Amino acid sequence: LRFIRKTDFIAVAAILLAAGVLLLFRLRDSSPPAAAEIYLNGELIKTVPLHTGEERSFSLPEREKVVFHLYPDGAIAFESSDCPDKVCVHTGRLRRAGQTAACLPNGLLLKIAGGADGPDAVL
Amino acid sequence: MTAAFRKTRLLTQTALLFALAVVLSLVEGLLPALPVPGVRLGLSNIPVMYALFFLGKGPAASIAGLKGAFAALTRGAAAGLLSVSGGLCSVGAMALLLWLSKKRASCFLLSICGAVCHNLGQLAAVSLLYETFGFQFYLPVLLAAGIAAGAVTAVLLRVLQPAFARLEGGKRS
Repeated sequence: LRFIRKTDFIAVAAILLAAGVLLLFRLRDSSPPAAAEIYLNGELIKTVPLHTGEERSFSLPEREKVVFHLYPDGAIAFESSDCPDKVCVHTGRLRRAGQTAACLPNGLLLKIAGGADGPDAVL
Repeated sequence: MTAAFRKTRLLTQTALLFALAVVLSLVEGLLPALPVPGVRLGLSNIPVMYALFFLGKGPAASIAGLKGAFAALTRGAAAGLLSVSGGLCSVGAMALLLWLSKKRASCFLLSICGAVCHNLGQLAAVSLLYETFGFQFYLPVLLAAGIAAGAVTAVLLRVLQPAFARLEGGKRS
């Protein structure tokens, strides 16, 4: 088995190009988001209006150990969580429509609403 | 070498590679988290790739399946489903590429293809589990991450190959 071939770089470039095109496409049609949605096990349990200009931390009665933080510039993030891996916290601030942060151990999904919604044909 | 001996050796090799995959995924858990969520190096793909290249499709797919079962036992059903979907997509894509190229595809390309398809498989599973997951946004990130992870694991496999060959008790080029 050969380790590498020159033609491999064509494949790599093609994948990167596809990623770039997708990214451009995404960035272009992201309208200013109005609200963040919080889902528990796939069900919408709370809608948080962004751009209220206030800064606050809050948690939900369903998952009190998970704290969200709303920033004055309209970004939102997982501030802390009792899950082992903290992927949700490491995701950082969300501000663009369609961005998501998930805490799979708690079944929580934080999503910025707006933009092209729902899983449409990608795969 | 009798057929029974070969079968036993294949079984033990597969088992050892699976054990290695489990250990490597634990080791990976100890490394500092990457800044991008959901993006992982995929160290445990190295034994899977080795199994695919030198032992065949069957052992590679069973290692991927067992990895998923292990994740399900230790981290819950959702983690298991994610692991299985990513692992089997990855093995399937690499096997397909090997077959399509009549075994001429390079290690590097196979690794990248495997890593990208691993991410795609996981993304598909996540969007099945959480219907609302905005996965279109994440697709480009995961494609690029797959390339990076694939390149790293290809190099690591290359470096570690002699050690793997010792594990088999035989020489492999």
